[in-house]
Amino acid sequence: MTRILDPTLADAATPAALPRALRPRSLRGLTVGLLANGKSNGMALLDGIAVRLSERHGIGEVVRVAKTNASAPVSERDAEGLAKRCAVVITAIGD
Amino acid sequence: MSPRSGIDIADPWDAIEACYARGWTDGLPVVPPTDALVDAMLAAGPWAADDVLVHEPVRDRAVTAEKAAINAVMAGCRPEYFPVVGAALQAIGDPAFMLHGPATSTGGSALMVIVSGPIAPRLAINAGANLFGPSARANATIGRSLRLILLNCLECRPGVLDKSTQGWPGKYTLCFAEDEAQSPWEPVSVARGIPAGRSAVTVYAAESGHNVLSHGTADPERLLTCFADVMAGLGSLSPGRSVVVFAPEHAQHLRRAAWTRPRVQQWLYDHAWRSLADLKRAGKVEPAFYTNPELVAWLYGDAPGGQPDRRPVPEDADRVVPGDEAVRVHRGLGPDDILLAVGGGAAGGHSAFFPSWSRGRSVPFVTKEVPA
Repeated sequence: MTRILDPTLADAATPAALPRALRPRSLRGLTVGLLANGKSNGMALLDGIAVRLSERHGIGEVVRVAKTNASAPVSERDAEGLAKRCAVVITAIGD
Repeated sequence: MSPRSGIDIADPWDAIEACYARGWTDGLPVVPPTDALVDAMLAAGPWAADDVLVHEPVRDRAVTAEKAAINAVMAGCRPEYFPVVGAALQAIGDPAFMLHGPATSTGGSALMVIVSGPIAPRLAINAGANLFGPSARANATIGRSLRLILLNCLECRPGVLDKSTQGWPGKYTLCFAEDEAQSPWEPVSVARGIPAGRSAVTVYAAESGHNVLSHGTADPERLLTCFADVMAGLGSLSPGRSVVVFAPEHAQHLRRAAWTRPRVQQWLYDHAWRSLADLKRAGKVEPAFYTNPELVAWLYGDAPGGQPDRRPVPEDADRVVPGDEAVRVHRGLGPDDILLAVGGGAAGGHSAFFPSWSRGRSVPFVTKEVPA
């Protein structure tokens, strides 16, 4: 018998799961962040979602952040700004 | 029995089919990775088995030297290629390269590896005839190692995480050496800051190459006109980078005319443009571009008199407005976005232009030294 070695990461440690943020019981009056990933229609999709959330759940202020490069992670500054100002953040790709 | 995880197979030929059955291939047969082959691969590089060569932060996946070696064996690499494979992995794993984008995007880019320095002839990495095609074992297998690692370790399976709309054959493998003897200029690696005499790899997320055919002139400007025209094609026009690989025949014309690398880069940048009106008529300007400062700067950076008096609005994307015919939109953001190398057979006026992947800025060139 010959052992053929596994080329995948199936036997590697699985990445540590990030803890989930606490979910608000209601969105009423809460500040909602919209993080578009940098594709052309991401913000259009998020704006549509924000309108629905406003109609159905009475959300408060909306904070918009658009990445300029879809491949790049969101900047620390933008991430911190969203975390500081928003109760929830929604992100989307829209091509 | 091996302490490493895997599958036990009695017949080596069955092992090839077993790899297929587990989805461990790119569609071509692989060399079954045994302990002995993987040990030899690892021993040829400077890394310990558990050294991480690529960490992909979006999905928090770490590729160790051992996993890289397993995939390099499967790709058909000889052990002495492993330092090049490892350096290329470190290059695509550089945070600046933003690997998640080129690995997954609909654009379907290939990971181009350009090898510079003394290791290229030592490993017989082809810089000559058919350098992008089937030729040398080193070209075929070093490039293939990266793709197998994306498939097997980063799970970039077509249609699942790799969303390439079409992809292209360079995604199987795209590795070549530059022909330093035929080049009028210093090696790409030296131009990018690696000391002369050292070996290095430069990686790039490439769309499919375009042949630039010219047999009728030795005059640099007339010759480069063909290149600029291909580079300004609307299909791939973007603010991204370019790789131009001059055939030795074309390089010779530039050498005789004493055109330096910066002069060629500047000339190509200056001439590879389309009018903003052309872009709009072809639907290449999207309303959302006007909300992205980087793209506004690309569109209007070379406008006569600078930026328009009136801030452009998304509605401008679809309509040609006065002045648009005079606005030149260049390929890339400057001459340094155009990487020049030399390679190919001694005969023939066939060079190549590889546009960057993506309709945006895409990702930068990254150069890493190959460990001695």
